[in-house]
Amino acid sequence: MNCRECKEHLYEYLDRELTPAVEQEIRQHLTDCPPCGEQFDFEKLFLGFLRARCRAQGAPADLKRRILDELLDE
Amino acid sequence: MTPPTPPTPPPPAPSPAAEADKRASFEREALVHLDSLYRVALRLTGNPAEADDLVQETMLKAYRAWHQFERGTNAKGWLLTILRHAFINEYRRRTRHPETVDIDAIEPFSVFEELQDEDPQGTFFDRIVDDEVLRAIDNLPEQFRETVVLSDVEGMSYEDIARVLEVPVGTVKSRLFRARRLLQQKLYDYAVGMGYIKGSAK
Repeated sequence: MNCRECKEHLYEYLDRELTPAVEQEIRQHLTDCPPCGEQFDFEKLFLGFLRARCRAQGAPADLKRRILDELLDE
Repeated sequence: MTPPTPPTPPPPAPSPAAEADKRASFEREALVHLDSLYRVALRLTGNPAEADDLVQETMLKAYRAWHQFERGTNAKGWLLTILRHAFINEYRRRTRHPETVDIDAIEPFSVFEELQDEDPQGTFFDRIVDDEVLRAIDNLPEQFRETVVLSDVEGMSYEDIARVLEVPVGTVKSRLFRARRLLQQKLYDYAVGMGYIKGSAK
């Protein structure tokens, strides 16, 4: 696998959407090619950062109770 | 002349025990996804009061249709589909204008390449606060926003996202790629503006 092919699969790889065989080929390329490895690390960090920043928020504390009350009237 | 058909008798009212069972299973399998539904609703409507209404309405619709839900399948996906339809039909007109995006017109911009010399480890991300990231997501075109939220916030698979958004998996992939690059670009511009990084003179 060359750099271009590897980068084409960047997000599919990080999202765990590839077959084990392709995943293995990419892992091998990332070991052999430090520049691609750095880029993948950067993108992985970015996705982890996004998730961490957005998941803190949840539903308001009383929303569940209000919904349950509403279901009782059904 | 055909004789008028007699009215069909109303279905027998479910017994209190059956109702209680239905509520218990709904609480166990559907209400556990409340936080996810709320997060998605908030990003779609851009407004906590509307998100609250949209989630309540979604849960009520889901409860009424609960007998149609196939037990053991993806409840979160099923609920998100109901939520998205409710949003499109009833809220979008009132809240935001749907934007259509010429996806090909968006030139992907790789922040990594811009920062190869200055910050290849992306340490500048640490300095960007939650609100700024949410604002960047909220400013994405709707098609990109919903795809990014389902993937990066809710961690859904491409196939599940495709089912909720009713688009092919290939579309999910290309939207995700462009949406993430756009987000990176917005956050990079913000970080340069704040002086967290120098950036390149573009």
